[in-house]
Amino acid sequence: MSTEAVSTDPAILTESLTKHYGETKALNDLDLQVERGEVFGFLGPNGAGKTTMIRTILDEIRPTSGRASILGLDSHEASVEIRNHIGYVPGDLAMYPNLTGKDTLTYFANLRGGVDWGFADSLAERLDADLTKKVGDLSSGNRQKIGLIQAFMNRPDLLVMDEPSSGLDPLVQREFQTMMREVVADGRTVFLSSHTLSEVQRVADRVGIIRSGNLIAVEEVASLRSKAIRTVQLFFDETVDAAVFEPLPGVREVNVQNHHVTLSFDGQMETLLKVVTDKYSLLDITTHEADLEEIFLTYYEEVDA
Amino acid sequence: MLATVVTKTFRDRWKGEAIGAVTLVLLFFMGMAVYRDIDLAVYTDLPEIFRSLMNIPSDADVGALAYGAIYTSYGAMTLTALAISMGSASIAGEERNGTMGLLLGNPKSRSHILVSKAVNILVLTALGCLLLWIGGLVVPSLLNVNVSGIHVGALMVHMFAIATFHGFLALALSAWTGKGVVATGTTVAVMIISFMAVGILPLIENLEAGAKLFPWYYFSGSQPHVNGASWGHLAVLFVGIAILAAVAVAGVNRRDLRGQTTGVSLVDRLRTHPLTEKLVDRLAGSTRVSRIWIKTASEHQGLLIIVSYAMFLVMGVMMGPMYTFIDETLVTLADAFPEGVLALFGGGDLATPEGWYQIETFGLMAPIAFMIITITLGAKALAGEEAQRTMGLLLANPIKRSRVILEKTVTMVVYTLVLAIALFSGVALGSMFGGLGISGANIAATVILGALLGLVFGGLALAISALTGTVRIAVFGSIGVGLVAFVANGFLPLSEGFEGLVKWTPVHYYLGSDPLNNGMNWGHGALLAALFVALIAVAVVLFDRRDLRQSG
Repeated sequence: MSTEAVSTDPAILTESLTKHYGETKALNDLDLQVERGEVFGFLGPNGAGKTTMIRTILDEIRPTSGRASILGLDSHEASVEIRNHIGYVPGDLAMYPNLTGKDTLTYFANLRGGVDWGFADSLAERLDADLTKKVGDLSSGNRQKIGLIQAFMNRPDLLVMDEPSSGLDPLVQREFQTMMREVVADGRTVFLSSHTLSEVQRVADRVGIIRSGNLIAVEEVASLRSKAIRTVQLFFDETVDAAVFEPLPGVREVNVQNHHVTLSFDGQMETLLKVVTDKYSLLDITTHEADLEEIFLTYYEEVDA
Repeated sequence: MLATVVTKTFRDRWKGEAIGAVTLVLLFFMGMAVYRDIDLAVYTDLPEIFRSLMNIPSDADVGALAYGAIYTSYGAMTLTALAISMGSASIAGEERNGTMGLLLGNPKSRSHILVSKAVNILVLTALGCLLLWIGGLVVPSLLNVNVSGIHVGALMVHMFAIATFHGFLALALSAWTGKGVVATGTTVAVMIISFMAVGILPLIENLEAGAKLFPWYYFSGSQPHVNGASWGHLAVLFVGIAILAAVAVAGVNRRDLRGQTTGVSLVDRLRTHPLTEKLVDRLAGSTRVSRIWIKTASEHQGLLIIVSYAMFLVMGVMMGPMYTFIDETLVTLADAFPEGVLALFGGGDLATPEGWYQIETFGLMAPIAFMIITITLGAKALAGEEAQRTMGLLLANPIKRSRVILEKTVTMVVYTLVLAIALFSGVALGSMFGGLGISGANIAATVILGALLGLVFGGLALAISALTGTVRIAVFGSIGVGLVAFVANGFLPLSEGFEGLVKWTPVHYYLGSDPLNNGMNWGHGALLAALFVALIAVAVVLFDRRDLRQSG
């Protein structure tokens, strides 16, 4: 594919992007920058405005105000040129029921002026997709695979995918995540909208969190994690007193059940262990990072508060 | 009874029914206003046989003619078409949408659902008839027209029966097959063929009784608006309705429900057979998806085949020999016929073969056939892809929105061309077989003008589709405009005051120059073509401006 439009411009750049449907404010002053060569996870609950944002930057719908540029090109003025460089998986994917998977891919390939069939077939093989059946006869997960292949097969500079893993089984999901990482390794970009946090956690470099049309936060997944509180569980051979743990630095929440203590903790592990082992006889300790789910919920609780 | 299902379907549908009925009442008002001004003298000399043929009661004011002209043809066909659309959508529609399983997840049987859908057909058709009835009483009193000899109520009961009959036929087919297209296509074909048969067969010696084989005969055969209700004929229709209801119940209970899956067509079978695999795969596969317009063309082949077959054989070939069978006395009497009345039926004159073809083929049926195709394609071109939620995916490719419109327009033009060739060769062969000697060039001229008129309405449907993104609005909007245009074209020339207005209906540029006798009118042809191009241009602008719809 032609790559002359590819430069160092951000993959996606929105400036005060706003979309109102009458009284409903689907997007409010959205300022977002997605860099080249990253997987950007776009997180939000149902109805937060994820799909509206995607449909706006793809020129399916027009912003009420503000603007967006894709790969340095204006999303409306240069929409046709932009589409030479993107692959798209719409949310709630629908295709032509009477065409087979192969027909569907051929149709889109023809509209783009050709495709590397060797690559397309290899994608089909990796996702275990059946291209001989009519799309209308496929289950939703198998239909989704056809949608993924048509988006990946042109090796686009930017992949825009709206809830792409719905209906995929865990094995295929894993393969799909590998495919996304390969795209990024190639210097290309993935914009992934999802409400499945575990998926974004595994594959994304950065996440943006949107709620009620407002972009609440943009963070690197790694720094989100490092910010995060750890959950520490301690097991003792006797009943312990919560008052011992509460004053320790970094302890946020204490929950004691007889011999068992659960702590929310973001302090120094060394200090904690020292105090605890001085006082009691420690039998076992487990600790894990809070996942994005918890962080995500924390964000929302903060906004609510 | 599933009152909830009835209420929901009623809510989905009542607007369409009400709009249809109110449009008809407006047309009726228009028609009657024009008729009121016609010179009465032309009717005093009218032979009795024509009075009965044209449904003109002897003791009524001429204004009453409007009942015959509007209610018994356009009115009955519109209500019937609405009932058919309800009948075929009832079971097959829920299956197509994938909502049938959901509905049956509730503790109600399939029969329950079917019955509630049937009740909807009855209720909504009754609503339509009621509105027409009210209009049929109010309009004459507003216009001071004497309708003493007209049995409006009886006409409405007959209309209710015929519309319900077709609705139930579609319901039964929909219940048996689960295929909405099969139900609609078959039932519309039954309606059109029986409408034509009831018009033509009585003109032919020895075949008069043949009309009794067709359902439409039991609607209009007894001329209920003149003679009052025919209980015998009504009984035939109501027994038919009961039988169809029973058939529908049996049908929906006997088969597997369809998922949102596709059927296996002949092409699919050939595609997997080792002998034909290569060739068919190329045609059905890579060729079909090589361009947007070819893919679009592949989607409505069934409709194209049926309509072009009907145009070739029924409207074309068969009409020629049939003319030679027509009762001689009718033909000679036709000279006495006032031109104004004939204008309403397409302006033909039974005394000449050209007039015969004009009345039976070109006046109404051929334009309807063209419009079925062009309006379907135009309405679905954009709104159809949006309803199926494929437009977003299609436009994710590096193509302009205008290209989608232009390619879909190409499909419309190609389809219209196929129809035009079918109609031309059918009429030319019919004229040859019947020894009628109609000029080939004049047939071609008429067919070309008809095709262009069809394209104008297709362009209108496309423009509405581009503006709204809704198939239903595009279909009903362009049919509504078509209805008004046809009736206006029929009525306006009859009144001295309104004569000039006829130039504002596109229909005037189709038969207005009498191309079957006078040959091609290039000016009229160019005007229709320009109108078509303008509508497509409007569609491009409108579509480019608006947000795509996310779903139907």
